[in-house]
Amino acid sequence: MQFEWIQIPYALLTLFIIINFGLLMNAFVAKIGARVGRRVGIPIYQNYIDLIKNYGLRSSITHGVMFYLAPVFRLTGGVGLIMFVPTIYGSVMFSNFSFAGDLILALYFIFFGTLGMALGAGESGHPHAAIGVSRGLSQVTMAELPLALAVFSIALQYNTLSVTEIVAAQQGGVLNWTLFTNPLAVAAAMLSFLGSVMRPPFDVVLAPQEIPIGPPTEYHSSYLALMQTNRVIYPVAKMVIFMNLFFGGADNWPVFFLKIFLIYMFAVFIGVVFPRFRVEQSIRWFLIWAVPIGILAVLVV
Amino acid sequence: MVNVIFIIVIGLGAAFLLGLLREKWRNTAYALTLGSLLAMAWIAARWLLFFAVDGGATFEIFTAGTAPPFAINLRMGITESVLLLLVILSGLLSAIYMSKSLYRLGGRAMSVLLVFIMALCGIILTRDIFNLFVFFELAVIATAGLLLISENKQALSAGFKYLIISQLVSVFLLIGIIFTYHVSGTLNIDGIAGLSLDMMKGIGSLAFFFMLMAILTEAKPFPANGWALDIYESAHPAFSALFSAAMAGSAAVYAVDKLLLIGGQQWLPVVTAIGLLSFVAANLLALSQTHDRRTLGYSSVGQVGLILAIIGQRDILGDSYLFIAGGILISHAVAKAGLYWISGLINQRHLTDWAVLRGHPLLILAFVSFIAMLSGLPPFPSFYAKWELVMILASENRLWILAFVLIGSLLEASYLFRWFGYIIKRERVQEEESESPLLSLASHKLLVIFSALAISWGLAYLWGELSAHDNLFYALPLLFALSFLLLEWLPAWVKNTLAIAGMVYYFVMSYSLYDPLQIIFAAIFLLGGAVILLASYHVHGRRMGFYPSAMLMFAGLTLLVVAEDSFQFFAAWEFLTIGSYFMILRGKHSEPHALSYIIFSLGGAFLILAGFALAAQGVTLFTLESLAHVAAPIAPWVFLLLAIGFMTKTAAIGLHIWLPGAHAEAETDVSPMVSGILLKAGLFGIMMLLMNMGKQQLYGIELTFIMLWIGALSAFLGNLMAVFQEDAKRLLAYSSIGQMGYALFGLALMNQLGWLMALMFVINHYIYKSMLFLSVGGVAKRTGTREMYKMGGLIAMMPFSFIAVLIGIIAVSGVPPLSGFGGRWVFYNAILSSEYRLPMMLIFISGPIAFLYLFRLIHTIFLGQLKDEHRQIKEAPFWIILPQMIYVAALMVFAVVPGLVLRKVDAYLSPFFAETAAKSGLNWEGLTITSNYGYWSPIPIMVIIAIIFGLLFVWLLFVNRKAQKVKQFNIVYSAERPFRPETTHFAWNFFAPYRKAMGFLIQPFVTRFWETLTDFLHTVADLFRRFYTGNGQTYAIQLLAFVVIVYLFRVEF
Repeated sequence: MQFEWIQIPYALLTLFIIINFGLLMNAFVAKIGARVGRRVGIPIYQNYIDLIKNYGLRSSITHGVMFYLAPVFRLTGGVGLIMFVPTIYGSVMFSNFSFAGDLILALYFIFFGTLGMALGAGESGHPHAAIGVSRGLSQVTMAELPLALAVFSIALQYNTLSVTEIVAAQQGGVLNWTLFTNPLAVAAAMLSFLGSVMRPPFDVVLAPQEIPIGPPTEYHSSYLALMQTNRVIYPVAKMVIFMNLFFGGADNWPVFFLKIFLIYMFAVFIGVVFPRFRVEQSIRWFLIWAVPIGILAVLVV
Repeated sequence: MVNVIFIIVIGLGAAFLLGLLREKWRNTAYALTLGSLLAMAWIAARWLLFFAVDGGATFEIFTAGTAPPFAINLRMGITESVLLLLVILSGLLSAIYMSKSLYRLGGRAMSVLLVFIMALCGIILTRDIFNLFVFFELAVIATAGLLLISENKQALSAGFKYLIISQLVSVFLLIGIIFTYHVSGTLNIDGIAGLSLDMMKGIGSLAFFFMLMAILTEAKPFPANGWALDIYESAHPAFSALFSAAMAGSAAVYAVDKLLLIGGQQWLPVVTAIGLLSFVAANLLALSQTHDRRTLGYSSVGQVGLILAIIGQRDILGDSYLFIAGGILISHAVAKAGLYWISGLINQRHLTDWAVLRGHPLLILAFVSFIAMLSGLPPFPSFYAKWELVMILASENRLWILAFVLIGSLLEASYLFRWFGYIIKRERVQEEESESPLLSLASHKLLVIFSALAISWGLAYLWGELSAHDNLFYALPLLFALSFLLLEWLPAWVKNTLAIAGMVYYFVMSYSLYDPLQIIFAAIFLLGGAVILLASYHVHGRRMGFYPSAMLMFAGLTLLVVAEDSFQFFAAWEFLTIGSYFMILRGKHSEPHALSYIIFSLGGAFLILAGFALAAQGVTLFTLESLAHVAAPIAPWVFLLLAIGFMTKTAAIGLHIWLPGAHAEAETDVSPMVSGILLKAGLFGIMMLLMNMGKQQLYGIELTFIMLWIGALSAFLGNLMAVFQEDAKRLLAYSSIGQMGYALFGLALMNQLGWLMALMFVINHYIYKSMLFLSVGGVAKRTGTREMYKMGGLIAMMPFSFIAVLIGIIAVSGVPPLSGFGGRWVFYNAILSSEYRLPMMLIFISGPIAFLYLFRLIHTIFLGQLKDEHRQIKEAPFWIILPQMIYVAALMVFAVVPGLVLRKVDAYLSPFFAETAAKSGLNWEGLTITSNYGYWSPIPIMVIIAIIFGLLFVWLLFVNRKAQKVKQFNIVYSAERPFRPETTHFAWNFFAPYRKAMGFLIQPFVTRFWETLTDFLHTVADLFRRFYTGNGQTYAIQLLAFVVIVYLFRVEF
């Protein structure tokens, strides 16, 4: 597949859909959380208001170049991630710029935003930011390992690294999904997923009460708006990868919405049930529970 | 041709004449001494020329004109002429050296010296055992006399102890001679040797045993040599030089050699065993010595032991016997005499007191040349000799002997290089603090030392000519490097320009000769080296010693790339090792680290040597390609030896402990050279090995599989250890261990993509690690510390360094769009085509761990809170920044068009992996690089990311156009506005929780292992050292016990 100019508006359309979906889904999940606690919760459009408000704010403060660039890095990471993976299987319109690289590109590009963000947070000079980064990086080293193993496992299984081809191989019935053909890999990956969505029990990185929201602590106004946009896009982008690799992909938008929502709810369920881990506890948890499953997945495939 | 007998006649005659001269005529006496020594030397030299150039035949002299046994037979052959010249010249030089003492003591002392030299000549010339005894007696008495020249009071007791021992020796020798005569009816050595072996059974054999023990004792074998060490310690250094070089090292061992003609083959193992024991034990004991002359004494005992071992091996050495024994013997004689002479300049006796030599470059050059000669490093004769020896030992399957020779050599190199470290690095006692001058530089003494230096280099050339291999002096890069020795007086920037020009020129000239693989390495070594050398412009002054060492390393690297046979390869390997050692040693606190580097490197080099020797099986010219044809039972062992040797250089886990200190403590521009460039030599070696030998199995275990694990473990543990470093350069050094682990892993995968990945790591690691070391070095230079937590917030002060580190860490971490990602992508494709799965896990986890230390590197140095003392700091010097910016550009180019470099290599590698898959390489057509599994388009990735980033950035600029940078503490933290950077900069122990979780994995087991080993060696050395009580009776009993034990071990008479 090669680049054509029409892909640009197509990609923008994908982005538009995903932003809206993400905003609504986040609000919906918050609402569900509130209802579980017998509260009313936010209105479903609350995230729009927040975002518009923050985009509307102007700031005359910066802590330096990297501080300034970090939100750009962050959002580039999220948007780029969406651009590098096909969203809707079989649709030329929504396969974005996935010709640029395969699964490995997507997996490594995840770190682009993280790195930029961490640098900007570092320049703010706020100790909470640095503590948050320290925690986040520590946790991610072990949380990502099961995912890497799972990816290795399914790449061996399907003998390809192309996301499109992996989705293609899962077509023709639910039982063809990786979930059923390689349950160990999916289990490892889903446990790893818990570590990357910033929900309990693995949210010590943000730790609202302890180190007020960690790395982004100094960010405000339109800086924060860019980050919030990313907060909307990024989990969806990551779940797109999960959906494509493990749950048969999606050949139309309704299926896409449903699958993404369900994947997210998995983390939400776990999150409302369990308390928070400290960093070393979560590292051990991943090492003891998730990594062995990943290793098994690699060995038996 | 002057009759040889005149050597004896002149010596003896002059000695008598001196006795007749008046006490006052000191000048005449001294002139007579020197004159007669000169005359003797001239005769010996004429004979040597006669044999060497004209191919003259051996000459026999019969005193009294009749044949033995009725007359004494002297023989002059090429061996004798060399030894005579050696003995007489060292006598002459020593006489010049101790002219003051000789003047003080007058004609009688000079006469004793002449008798001593004459006696040694006699020992060498004679073919008669009784005559041998006489000359030995003369030498002994002369020794006792010459000992008194020393002003040291212990010399007297040492001389007395020597006399006690000599009595025993004489008794043994006489008994032996009497019974030999009884059995054989002749005293002529050749006569006895000519008799049938039956005659030498029983009592004859016992007689021979006595004679052998007597003569061997004069060679001071361990452990019956306490008296000799006391002599070395207390005698006048010029006499110690003679005693070591001429008496023990030449005359005594030649006497043993002659005597063995009588005993025949069956006695060779005895001599070998005694020699090897002395070699290893003396060098081991020397480890715990602190007295300089005693250390040299131990070294002497060791070297003579090695020569004895070689004599014991002469049954297999054949035509090379003289070349090998001569190479070691002459190297020992020149080097040891030279070192003793240097010791005479220094007025204090602790090894560390030699630091006074610092500031005298020529003396340091002399010292280095001498210890290199003793350690058997190229280009000196001992190197060629050891190479031949090891080759032959391996081909004759005498592997134990080979192992002991190498272990002894390593021990010897350890304490010699430790000593060198003292000279370069230890505090000098200030002149004012001591009463007497610390260094007495008399011109006649310097003349003697520098003639030894000249002789040593001359011999190096000579042995190169005699060797069956290339003379190393004809290698252009080496000559280029050595020429910097002569240019030392120039300012550093001139030398730097010359060095850069030379390296670039050489690359351009030889570009067309390389294959694609060689081009990559040659480009990194030569062009890459030149880029780093740009940073060296920041150093002013003359920078003594830097350029010869640096160029020696680069010469080694250059020669390594084009080496075709094992000898060239090994010589190049040694050159780059020595050169880099000197460079590392230049760092301020690098003394212990440089030592650990050289010991590991030499250990590795010896394994490589043994590997090549085992593979060659006696073939003189063993091309590297012939490694492919090494047959089954030895092939895996060859592989193992070579692989471990090379992995020492890449600092694979277990052999890595030298690296962090060596790389971290080196100078700013040296760290990138030894990290970015030198480590690649190890990878080049492994590539060469794998390409030629492929997969090997040992006891059913695939060796490449083990290598895979080692690579993965190195990557994992190297990265993990880097996370917990506070010192920025140490962090980078540990990261190198990890990166080399990746590369090793890629190679051990043994598929085309794995190799491609390794090559990407080779290129990437060179670029970003050189860049990072330079940036961090520049920062350390400005801040005066390498501890990261003491820095912080430097981004505004040092923006260029920051950019370099930023680009560097993005590249190292493998985040797209920079070039590190390419390495990761190829890695995934490579492991998919590999049959192994388990070791990959470790690599998977090491990737994210790299983020930890990389973030820490940039955060704690450049981000966070600026310290008060750094508010006025400036950007690093221009010349340190310049190469970094070149690297930034290079990284960008390599990220966008990796094919530019890798395409050809990929094609070149295909044939080597032809059998594994129909198409295992990459497809480079168009913008997209495709493999069997996936695809990757560097340019679109870069464009897409740049566009998204650019759009968002412009938008943010638009909305926040009024944003101003706020002051440093414009934050609220813990309910207050902080004001102290030290308490606000979150930096020290940055990954505390991570240490809690994973810290158990980095217990320093390996370090502990090596420390325990060295402690053990030192303890053993110290324990046995006490064996030498200094009591003459004890020494006599030790000698008797030694004789009895040898007798018991050698029962079948």
